[in-house]
Amino acid sequence: MDRVKPILFVAGIGCFVFSVALSGLYPWLISGGREPEHTLEQVSADVTPEFRELKAQFPVKFAAAFPEAAAALSGQELAKLDAMDARRAASEKAWQAAHAKALRRGRDIYIAEACWHCHSQFVRPVANEEQRFGRIRTMRDDNNTLQRPMLWGTRRVGPDLTNEGGLRSNDWHMAHLVDPSATSPGSIMPRYTWMQEKGWQVRATIDSNIAAREGLPEETSHALPGVYPTQAEAEAAMKRLQDAPPANMEEEVERLFVTEAMGPTADALALIAYLQWLGRWQAPVAEGTR
Amino acid sequence: MTTNTVAPVLVDGRELVNKALVKWHFVMAVCFMLTSMIGGLLISFQFLDAYMFEGIPWLAYGRVRLLHTNEIAYGFLVNAFLGAIYYAIPRMTGRPVFSDKLGWFILWVWQFTVVATSVGQLLGFTQALEWGETPTGFKPGTFELEYIPVDFLIEVGAVLVAIQFLTSIFRSIHQRLYVSLWYFSAAFIWLILTYVMGNNLPEWVLPGSSGAATVGLFIHDLVGLFVTPLGWGLMYFFVPIILRKPVWSHALSTIGFWALAFFYPLNGVHHFLLSSIPMSVQYGAVISTIAVEIVVTTVVVNFFATMRGSGAALRTNLPIRWFYTGMVFYFTTCLQCAFQTTLTVQEIIHFTDWVPGHAHLVMLGVFAMWLMGIITWMWPRLTGREWYSRALNSWHYWLTMLGVLIMFFDLVAGGLVHGFMFKAMAPWMDIVEALKPFWGVRTFAGAMIVAGQVLWAWNLYKTAHGSMPYDASRDIVQGEEN
Repeated sequence: MDRVKPILFVAGIGCFVFSVALSGLYPWLISGGREPEHTLEQVSADVTPEFRELKAQFPVKFAAAFPEAAAALSGQELAKLDAMDARRAASEKAWQAAHAKALRRGRDIYIAEACWHCHSQFVRPVANEEQRFGRIRTMRDDNNTLQRPMLWGTRRVGPDLTNEGGLRSNDWHMAHLVDPSATSPGSIMPRYTWMQEKGWQVRATIDSNIAAREGLPEETSHALPGVYPTQAEAEAAMKRLQDAPPANMEEEVERLFVTEAMGPTADALALIAYLQWLGRWQAPVAEGTR
Repeated sequence: MTTNTVAPVLVDGRELVNKALVKWHFVMAVCFMLTSMIGGLLISFQFLDAYMFEGIPWLAYGRVRLLHTNEIAYGFLVNAFLGAIYYAIPRMTGRPVFSDKLGWFILWVWQFTVVATSVGQLLGFTQALEWGETPTGFKPGTFELEYIPVDFLIEVGAVLVAIQFLTSIFRSIHQRLYVSLWYFSAAFIWLILTYVMGNNLPEWVLPGSSGAATVGLFIHDLVGLFVTPLGWGLMYFFVPIILRKPVWSHALSTIGFWALAFFYPLNGVHHFLLSSIPMSVQYGAVISTIAVEIVVTTVVVNFFATMRGSGAALRTNLPIRWFYTGMVFYFTTCLQCAFQTTLTVQEIIHFTDWVPGHAHLVMLGVFAMWLMGIITWMWPRLTGREWYSRALNSWHYWLTMLGVLIMFFDLVAGGLVHGFMFKAMAPWMDIVEALKPFWGVRTFAGAMIVAGQVLWAWNLYKTAHGSMPYDASRDIVQGEEN
């Protein structure tokens, strides 16, 4: 034992502890350590417009994935309410709860699929990275729960995602996840085909007169929001529309029909919510420093 | 030293070396090496947009990538190192390890953790810690257990390994400890500390930059404080034994030890240079990384000086040829490291294929080659059987060596293309198109390497089940072909 003591204690423990103090503890003490980690509630409080849009685009799946958002109202719905209506506050609270849940779940998928091994979240002040990828994040920006464990990454097979939020539409992200080469020709990103699932959708055929005027082929149709898990639910939804059609539908739409369609999974919604959040949140100026 | 294959050395009625344990660790090492490398080869097709398992969630590129890196670290390297030190440590101390029963327990628990790691990663239970994506087992951000807590099992395993081998070292019959034992003793402590730090601080305590600093420490310490000291210790043990002459300088080997202990752990932050980690810490990491390259020359110089006058062994002795090739690659990779750690070079090469090129040269070109040399030297002595085919061993060497060389130059060149095009603001998809030929060559090199390993595994299997006994007396003849 005596012969090994200096090796075990000086080299083994001593040198190691010294290194952790110098390169782990010291940077923590002189910067992040002064300020507590920003919580999930803090970073998700500002609900992104894209997240609100997800609910309008995929109402059925959204309601199933984020039941917290049941009371969440859209901009149009809020416009009808009084300024003092209690439903306003309840709606915003519901949005925030759903957003926090989506970010956490989206980030977990981002880790499980090892997205972070090909996409960095780390813009450097060299090699024109700011021009290409946008703002550089500070130590305080990354001092938040969604960066523990941190997701800077060490390899860029694909582009950096630090400031990805708001750059592209939800539809773009959904199409890109399922078949990246559809939106980015030549892309070698894997096709995450399991991010979508089969369902049923209501489609509307455009009025033949309008179609003729606009030079569209006959039987041109567009999808109405919502992908339903079963044919019966989609048909029920169609019937509701037929019974009480929205204002502009009667003149523009010739007929409604139900067809099979692919829709996002709950995981895909969460992942898109996370991607749309990236770079949106910045640490506020520290209290008492200004 | 050489009588072991004739009659086992007994200490207090126990065999000094438990050859069955050595053999089984080697068997598991080779199995995991094969699965890891085949995984690596398969996912390389993703870069050519020709991955055959696309669309199957649990075989997705990202998940198999984790299997590739983790099985090499925890499946191949750890098993091969354990096998080698089950032989080396008792031979150097004259005392058996703590307990053979504990040895079997560690063996099977370890294989369980490696399999659980891979299964977990394929199912999506992953920890976002590079080279340590072993599942914590807990639901992220909570203490709800939802999978096997693999991290914890590995921590327990590391402690058991330390008990197993330090017992033998504490009881050594020799007055002074040979330098290999210094490296090994420290490595056991470092493995425990590194693993506990890396798998807990960034996961549960430190977010963002502070987390990144400790993640950098973990990635680097796993190489520098576990793989490196075990690799060096084994070189200092096996080279003199196979060549039958002492190392050139014992003083140099001990200087190397203390320098490694001091400088190597200070390097970690160099994995995140030009980041929001305080600049003083980054500069410190750059300087100590360059210092480490000077430290590394101690083992390189010692090896080549010991080799002097034994050049013929390169032709006749395959294990020595593996060691020699590994040592040449080691010098290359360390020299490369001293340059690539500077901020000037980092600007271009970070985030590019240069880094995987470097990583493959150091893990496969250096440490795996040394271990392949050791396993090749020991296999006939362990099984008591003559090689099934020496030609296959030769094929193994040339396919692996050329494969690594091609892969290294290919990835480094591709990394430079990526880095300079990136800086010149080329559109992203133009960079991807420019890299596709390099990725094609990488797949070809990978296929060469995998072919080499398959031939070797076949040879090991046929040898173990062969009928021609190994002539142990040949061990006494100097310069004998191995």
